[in-house]
Amino acid sequence: MGAMTVQVEGLSRRYGNIRALDGVDLTLERGITGLLGPNGAGKTTLLSVLATINEPDAGQVSVFGLNPKDRAERVEIRRRLGYLPQELGYHRHFTVAAFLDYVAILKEIVDRRQRAQEVARVLAAVGMERLGRRKIRTLSGGFRQRLAIAQALLGRPELLILDEPTAGLDTEQRLRFRELLSNLPGDPVIVLSTHQADDIAAICPRVVVVLEGRIHFAGTPAALAETAKGHVWTAERRDERAHMSWRDGDNRWRHIGDRRPADSETAVPTVEDGYLLLSHATGTR
Amino acid sequence: MTRIFDPPEPVAGANRHPSADLLAGYADRGIDEVVAWSVEAHVASCAECRTTVSAHVDGERLARNRSVLLALTAIPDGGWGWRLAWRCGIPDHLLRLVAATSSLRRSWLLAVVGVLTVVTGEAVLVHHLWPPGGVSPHGASAAGLAPFLLFGPLLVLAGVAGAFVPALDPSYRLAVAAPFSSLTLLLVRALSALVAALVPVVCAAFVIPGPVWLPAALLLPSLAVCALALAAVTAVGPVRAVVVSGVLWAVPVVLLALGRSPLETVQSHGQAFCAVVLVVAAGVVFIRRDRLEMGWAR
Repeated sequence: MGAMTVQVEGLSRRYGNIRALDGVDLTLERGITGLLGPNGAGKTTLLSVLATINEPDAGQVSVFGLNPKDRAERVEIRRRLGYLPQELGYHRHFTVAAFLDYVAILKEIVDRRQRAQEVARVLAAVGMERLGRRKIRTLSGGFRQRLAIAQALLGRPELLILDEPTAGLDTEQRLRFRELLSNLPGDPVIVLSTHQADDIAAICPRVVVVLEGRIHFAGTPAALAETAKGHVWTAERRDERAHMSWRDGDNRWRHIGDRRPADSETAVPTVEDGYLLLSHATGTR
Repeated sequence: MTRIFDPPEPVAGANRHPSADLLAGYADRGIDEVVAWSVEAHVASCAECRTTVSAHVDGERLARNRSVLLALTAIPDGGWGWRLAWRCGIPDHLLRLVAATSSLRRSWLLAVVGVLTVVTGEAVLVHHLWPPGGVSPHGASAAGLAPFLLFGPLLVLAGVAGAFVPALDPSYRLAVAAPFSSLTLLLVRALSALVAALVPVVCAAFVIPGPVWLPAALLLPSLAVCALALAAVTAVGPVRAVVVSGVLWAVPVVLLALGRSPLETVQSHGQAFCAVVLVVAAGVVFIRRDRLEMGWAR
């Protein structure tokens, strides 16, 4: 296994009778990798293994050449890790700054002034400099999500694991989030899971499609879109034979399928089209 | 020492201004500390020099420092208890970790006080209705202590459980994925919760109509039942560990209460048994402490 990136080989994990991960092989390079997949596909399980929370039933994990099975190496991985869980709970009586201060301590930043510097830095990064004194329970969902992102940035992590980071963010906040991730210094390894294909298309040079615990695609967003070439059309009327069809912004029916609808025009496929076609082909949609 | 002024006069007086070089050095923190104090004293009362200094200050650094100051003032301490503990030498980062313990929240402690009030009130009521040596059924007054003897150590156990049961820590997954030693975190929180719960329990024991040695007699059983839970966590899930420990305390108390002698659980034989449990459990916790580290678990 390589020393410089995150590598996973033959990763499997079961929850009772449910196979959450089934022989996953994956390499994460520096830069942003997007994990795309429906609910229950295994994205969160994969990320929690990478975050050293869950142990796999089988397979190997290497993070910057460190093996999480070894306790000392696991702690070293955690020193380099920023993690945003899918459902982050808060100590609701804490203020924003106190919560970040708490997480900074968990990240072994013990000196009070150094902690304040880190808290100030991440608050500025998510545009919440003036909200440090606010109680978390008074924040809106969007601000809570920004706070969740802020805590993941504490300690300038080399590996940033973000599980559904754009959930609850409005359009402007999502754009700011994309800007933030794109401008992170130090070229960290970033892996984010999302349902938003447009987030993937906008900021991820690499995309991984996870379906039923397996990797079904790994490549560039353009390559994922390319897989739908010749399978996407627009037409005035709906075609029942299409795998999926919906009205687009021009009030025309956009069809994804194997047969060309009557009186239709071939459309340029998007990342979402590629993902939907792949999901249909594997029977997960 | 650096020669700082054009003339050999004092650094700054009412009618003299520091040189431009000195003000620049002050802004860059490049001058002797004592001299900086003199400059600072002058700048504080001289608008002209303040303007000169601000021209030398890096705007970005100023903004950064301002953000840090904002953050510092926004990070609150936990009130008088926090300040007292800090003055006693407990590092502020440990106090922050303790502040995130569910069983140290005011609402939790109020619930503890509420339960204690009920069981204490019950014991007082029974004592007045059937005073010892009266015409009451034999041992009724002692039996009235049973709820207190049952709930006292259980409340302490619940407090300690709040320190390590994942469902009671909203940001549990962050703690797991962080490098800070989860064993240290658990022990710091458990100890704080133990003390916070023991204090009201022991105070209630002073109020309750029972033997004078009762407050002291509750300490060992409370410690034993908590240590047992921590030892059990090294083998089974946290919730199961707490339930098993609680049941192991409740069963003898209830059985002895049915026999009208609940105090036996905290008398000599009970104390000896609790001491053995405490020592063995502490040994198990020490030997199997690696299993208390969180994460990378199935």
